[in-house]
Formats: sequence, C-alpha cells, structure tokens
Amino acid sequence: MSESTKGYRHKFTVSPETYSGFINVFKDENPLHTDEQFAKELGFDRVVMHGNILNGFLSFFVGQCLSRKNVMIINQQIDFHKPVFLNDVVELIAKVSFASEAVGITEYKYYFENQQKEKVAKGKITVKTM
Amino acid sequence: MEYQEVIKEFNRLFIDVLDNEEIVLKEETTANDIEEWDSLTHIHLIVEIEKFFKIKFTAAEIEGFANVGAMCKFVASKTEA
Repeated sequence: MSESTKGYRHKFTVSPETYSGFINVFKDENPLHTDEQFAKELGFDRVVMHGNILNGFLSFFVGQCLSRKNVMIINQQIDFHKPVFLNDVVELIAKVSFASEAVGITEYKYYFENQQKEKVAKGKITVKTM
Repeated sequence: MEYQEVIKEFNRLFIDVLDNEEIVLKEETTANDIEEWDSLTHIHLIVEIEKFFKIKFTAAEIEGFANVGAMCKFVASKTEA
C-alpha cells in the first residue's frame, strides 16, 4: 500500500485462493459465482466473483494499511458498478474525505478499478480511532 | 444562524441519522429521551452536524453539552453571520 497526498493505493489479485477461500468460509455457492453456463446465460463471459470479496480487501486496508492500529470500522458502503472476475487485479484507491477529531472519525472515499482501469466499485468507509 | 433555525436543522438531521420520523427536539432533549440515540449514532450525529454547519467541535465541547439546546446555542454562536 502506498500512501501519498493523493491517498492510498493498493493492488489486490482475486486469486483462486481468495475465491475458494470465500466460498469455503461463507458457503455462498450461488451459480452466478460457480456455474459458468449459468453466468453466460445472464450475460457474463465467466463466473462473477462475489462482491463481498472487495469488502475483504477493504478490511485489509483498514486493518493493515493505516498507520494506526487502534481503529475499527463503524460504517461501510459500497456500490458495485461492474463485475469482477477470477484473476482480475483490482486497485483500491482511497482518500480521506472527512475527519472529526472530536469523535475520532475518519471517512475515506474509495474506489476499485480493474486492470482495464474500469471503476468496478466505489463507496465510503468510516473508521473510528479508539 | 438563529437558534430556531439551528434546532430545526438539528431535527432534520436527527430524523435522518436516527431513522425516526417522530423525533421532535426540544431544548431540554437529551440522549435519554431518544431510544435510537446511543454511543454509535451519537458519533454519526456529530459528524453530520459538523458537515452540515461546516464547523468543528472539540471533544471537551461535546462533553460539556447538557442537552440539545446547549448544542444548538453553541452552533448558533459559531455560525453567526
């Protein structure tokens, strides 16, 4: 993760381990995510990755990339704009959008873009410093 | 901004943040009077108030507010034309 005046950037690969790990843990085997023929019938080239894999990447951002560790997420919002596929490389770009010292809050606006520089998801995450 | 205008905007923000259309703030209202006003929603309220009125509180100022009226008076003083 790189941090600069332009914000934070980090690249994640939606690897087979991430994909299978998500299914193993959460048991979401909806055919959109597991059946290529089903996904094609819905207009996708391949099975679509679970959107909440991106939320896992956001968890990594807050838990591992911020310089302080005494933080917790109190609110998280995400809009999914385009599908993410297996082995896609998505880059998280996050920037502080608001901070309140009085209540120890930092809000980050973020988006994910894929290797084609398409914005696949965007949202806002609110972190409290404990 | 006048006190009455501030408390009117507070009421709108409280309804929105606490998701309770029945909230009618009075000067003496405290967190004890509104079920949804807990420690987490308190944070959201402060954030939305800071954003809307374009002001910043300190932690000491927030702790010093005895009720909604005291907070509204403070905000009115901070947003005087």
